[in-house]
Amino acid sequence: MTKKKAFKQEYLTKYMYLISLVLVMVVFSIFAPGFLSLYSLQNIMFEAAPLLILAGGLSFIIYTGGIDLGAGAMVSCTCVLTGIYIAKMGNIIVLLMILAGVVMGTLNGVITAKLKLPSFIVTLCTQNFWNYVALILCPNGSIIIPMNMRSIVKWTTVKIGVIPSTFLLAILVIFLLYVFQQYTFYGKSIFAVGANANATRLAGVNIDAAQISAFTISGVCSALAGALYAYKLKSAVPTIGTSLTLTAIASVALGGTSMAGGRGSVLRTSIGVLTITAVTSGLDMMGADPLWKNIIIGVILIGAVCLNSDSQGRDLIIK
Amino acid sequence: MGELLFEAKGIGKDYGATTVLHDIDMKISSGEIIGLIGENGAGKSTLMKIISGVEKQSFGTMTLRGKPYSANTILEANHHGIGMVFQEQSLVGNLTVAQNIYLNREKKYSTAGFVSWRKMNVDAKKAIARLGLDLDTSKKVRDLDFATRQMIEIAKVLDVVEETASGKAIILLDEPTTVLSNEEIDKLFENMRNVAARGNAIIFISHRLDEVLKITDRIYVFKDGAETAEMPTKGADINILYEKMVGRSTTGEFYVEHKQTVPTDEVVMSVKDLSVFGSFNHISFDLHKGEVLGLCGVEGSGKESICAVLVGDEAPTSGEIVINGKNQNFANPYQARKKGILGVPKERRSEGMIGILSLEDNILISHLDGLTKRGLLNGKKTRAIADEWIKKAGIKCTSAEERINQLSGGNAQKVIFARALESGCRILILNHPTRGVDVGSKEEIYSLVRDMTAAGNSIILLGDTLDECIGLSSRCIVLRDGLITGSFECQVGNKPSQKNIVEKMM
Amino acid sequence: MNRKWENAIKEYSVGQQFVLRVKDDAKRDRITRIAPVILLVIMTLIGAVSQKDFFSPDNLVNILYQMSIPLVISVGLMLVLLIGSIDLSIEGNMGFAGSLVAFLVTNGTNSNNFGIWGVLFCIFIGALVGFITGFLHVKARIASFIVTYAIGSIMTGAAVLIYKGTAIKVLDPAFEVISRNKFLGIPYLTIIAFAVFLIGALILNYTAFGRAVYAIGDNELAAASTGIDVGKVKILVFTISGCIASIAGILMCIRLKLGQSSIGADQMFPVVTSIVIGGGSLAGGKGGALASFIGVLIYTELVNWLTLMGVNVYLRGVIQGIIIIIAVALTINKNRRTIAK
Repeated sequence: MTKKKAFKQEYLTKYMYLISLVLVMVVFSIFAPGFLSLYSLQNIMFEAAPLLILAGGLSFIIYTGGIDLGAGAMVSCTCVLTGIYIAKMGNIIVLLMILAGVVMGTLNGVITAKLKLPSFIVTLCTQNFWNYVALILCPNGSIIIPMNMRSIVKWTTVKIGVIPSTFLLAILVIFLLYVFQQYTFYGKSIFAVGANANATRLAGVNIDAAQISAFTISGVCSALAGALYAYKLKSAVPTIGTSLTLTAIASVALGGTSMAGGRGSVLRTSIGVLTITAVTSGLDMMGADPLWKNIIIGVILIGAVCLNSDSQGRDLIIK
Repeated sequence: MGELLFEAKGIGKDYGATTVLHDIDMKISSGEIIGLIGENGAGKSTLMKIISGVEKQSFGTMTLRGKPYSANTILEANHHGIGMVFQEQSLVGNLTVAQNIYLNREKKYSTAGFVSWRKMNVDAKKAIARLGLDLDTSKKVRDLDFATRQMIEIAKVLDVVEETASGKAIILLDEPTTVLSNEEIDKLFENMRNVAARGNAIIFISHRLDEVLKITDRIYVFKDGAETAEMPTKGADINILYEKMVGRSTTGEFYVEHKQTVPTDEVVMSVKDLSVFGSFNHISFDLHKGEVLGLCGVEGSGKESICAVLVGDEAPTSGEIVINGKNQNFANPYQARKKGILGVPKERRSEGMIGILSLEDNILISHLDGLTKRGLLNGKKTRAIADEWIKKAGIKCTSAEERINQLSGGNAQKVIFARALESGCRILILNHPTRGVDVGSKEEIYSLVRDMTAAGNSIILLGDTLDECIGLSSRCIVLRDGLITGSFECQVGNKPSQKNIVEKMM
Repeated sequence: MNRKWENAIKEYSVGQQFVLRVKDDAKRDRITRIAPVILLVIMTLIGAVSQKDFFSPDNLVNILYQMSIPLVISVGLMLVLLIGSIDLSIEGNMGFAGSLVAFLVTNGTNSNNFGIWGVLFCIFIGALVGFITGFLHVKARIASFIVTYAIGSIMTGAAVLIYKGTAIKVLDPAFEVISRNKFLGIPYLTIIAFAVFLIGALILNYTAFGRAVYAIGDNELAAASTGIDVGKVKILVFTISGCIASIAGILMCIRLKLGQSSIGADQMFPVVTSIVIGGGSLAGGKGGALASFIGVLIYTELVNWLTLMGVNVYLRGVIQGIIIIIAVALTINKNRRTIAK
């Protein structure tokens, strides 16, 4: 690969997320009047909050070169659990959901790491289980949180200054994830595993622990996102997660994270989330057919992955 | 001997700043079996790669049957009538014998896209009959034993090259006898003679000198990338062969011998009757503090496997590794590191470097869990550590942030050395530490090795060349076919001759 | 095993040990290959015991009928698995083809009447989508799971766009005939499906392309060194997979006489499970037409038995997942020291 090509590629990857955000903002401010209004921006933040957490956690699995195709199902599962049991338990349900996330994520991680199975198969398998729980508890569509419990969920609609509280929560989570990514040895190990698993292993790193920790974090984030959706929609929605996996993966890709693993950042993923949320919000404002949403996100994903592809830097056989 | 088939003049090959082949001349005539011998790293494989189309030479020319010859791919070389049987199995296990032989050549057996296996089997039987083999060619290759597979590989290459150059082909065999029993070797030699009798030529690489003396007509000896001797096999003196293979070319200064430490009596690791089924048996030795213990042996002697067991990459079948008075069992390299053992792997690109990560990350990866304070790493501190290693090891780079895959081979290797030193492990397993490294960096690495032992670490070394092994080690253990055949003290001023060691190796 | 080897060290030389070790691996390999047949026998026995009329012509034809669509899908999927990749876009392609074909032939939503041309067009589109998938995978060097996942999502979305919410009802007489009628007691649909599978098996086992697929899956570098254009073969594999997914979608549409994106839902995973049970490997190089057939048969019998036992439909997915994990874990070479991602 010539030096010029390599330079252009690195440049693209580094700044793609910013370029796309700016591009989206510009395009939609032209075609959708009121796009840059405070109300619209607040709406974007509101919509993006749970997705920020979801995609942020998912990033870690992708850093190891794996994927969680069942992330959306985890979200549905905890959304249902939260929606149904909040009436009995109050806000403590969120902590329980975090615990559930630990269990779900660690299960995925252990099967992947210890049995040495490809993560896409493992997560496709466990996805059935999370969906099963959601559908068993909620077989007839959404269940609304009863009115008398509404006061508990009120805090999520509150704004601190101009920013929705859930968005601030998401920012906090992203911050914590960033600290984990940059400043803990698990974080560094996770990147190393994605960059060259064999060399990392031979360097004496506990790669099983690194892999499992990535899945655990993602599980917690997915669970937390699910709980947040229950708060946001004030109901248990068993199908909430159906298209979320795609959106989350597309956000991570748009943020310049390589699907082959080894590099990326939750900060850039966050910008990817905001960009995609802006796109869907803008399309809504333009009155576009909502059925186009999945197609557009799918195309964004492919485009982002193509631009991101840096496999010339590694001697790999791509399968 | 017949007409001149192939001639190479002044062949040289450089990898960046390192010269691996230098001014090689070779002549091969029809009907000849040429032997090619030399140590690991002497350049034999590189020359074969150039002839067989895997690599391109940096200097020199080749002529084949009077016309200039060059090949950019294995397939091109095949079309010219040159084929190589590689050491690694290149047959496809889930296909039949016939399908393997005619892989990508099915056209002449197919009508309207559908292949007639029956017709192909008929020809396949003829192809393997040339090597005296008679078996059902519709059997899957994975159901055959190694020796038969080896024969079929040769039959395949033979069939491919004889298609275009019957009676004038050149077959390259790289260590074909390592998986064969004595009877099978005899059969192979008989077949080789038949092939040569038809006018083809064979280049036979082997580290087993007795075999080379048995089957070849002429012998070329390589050492350090140059041709040191060429002689007819008849009347060749095995001692002269040894001498030409290994004679000392570098001085003690090169190996920084003045810094070689004398090991103390303290035993840091004791290996007792260690065995891996099928690789090595009954290996026992003590490793002392400050010692460099060299493991000498050819490929297949078991030294690589011993390395793998010591770093935790492979599980032993039986035996003990005693550290601090207790038998240790490592299930993986992580556990080995916790007990104080870390390795510098052989394949730098795939096993050593974490390519797209920075120098800093690469240096610190084996010590991260020891550097955390309340769970967090301090970016400034880790950067300072990396910078210090860059200075200490003389790593040429723009900064600690630079990606390791932008560095030259020698500098990348120094990074991995820095990693090993930073890890705090007292027992280091160095596997071909100067492979693919330029001469200047080699000396710096040798100096690092001396610093390691001076600081009280103990090293087990698999040297790139025998010379290096002797020069660096305080003691050498010789391995052959999985067993220890000798042990030599290597103190400064009392280094054993290479000949002594080579005799035990082969 | 370690115990056995420990003792054997005393008896054999290192060289002999090496040969023994290789033989041992080969033996374990052979056992893994026999396992599906044993599973089939066991499953059939369980079925026969739980169901009085298990071997009646009616029940046997029913089993064949249930195997139809999975068999068709397995043609494409086994090619993809053989080269070590995965195709997550099958469900999306099926849904799209089913919706498109319903849209194009005589239906209750519009006045189209393209008949056979509509069907051919859908198959062509499926092949085109598969080609694009393969092209992106090979040329842009994107892992197959990501590129097929993205394409699958796009196709699902595109399918919904075609009918915009209300499923299209198919009224084409030809579809009616194929859907209802039988030949010698076997539904036309089943015969067509088996015919497609047979063609796929012939291509896999009797063409140079088929051999190249096996070679690439077993040892990609060795295959490339014989001059096989690995990229071209891979692109062709994905093209076929897309084409097959379309055919499966069209068949499903014929069966249901309905066109909607959910035609393809939950169709891929059972087939992956079947192929793995039958002896296929996710890492590539193993399996084939016979293995897939046996696997689909075992799986169909298993589902029948579960339904007979009254197991919840949703729970089936969970059981499927557990089966795959066990099946793949058992066939993974335990000596592999590297990591799976």
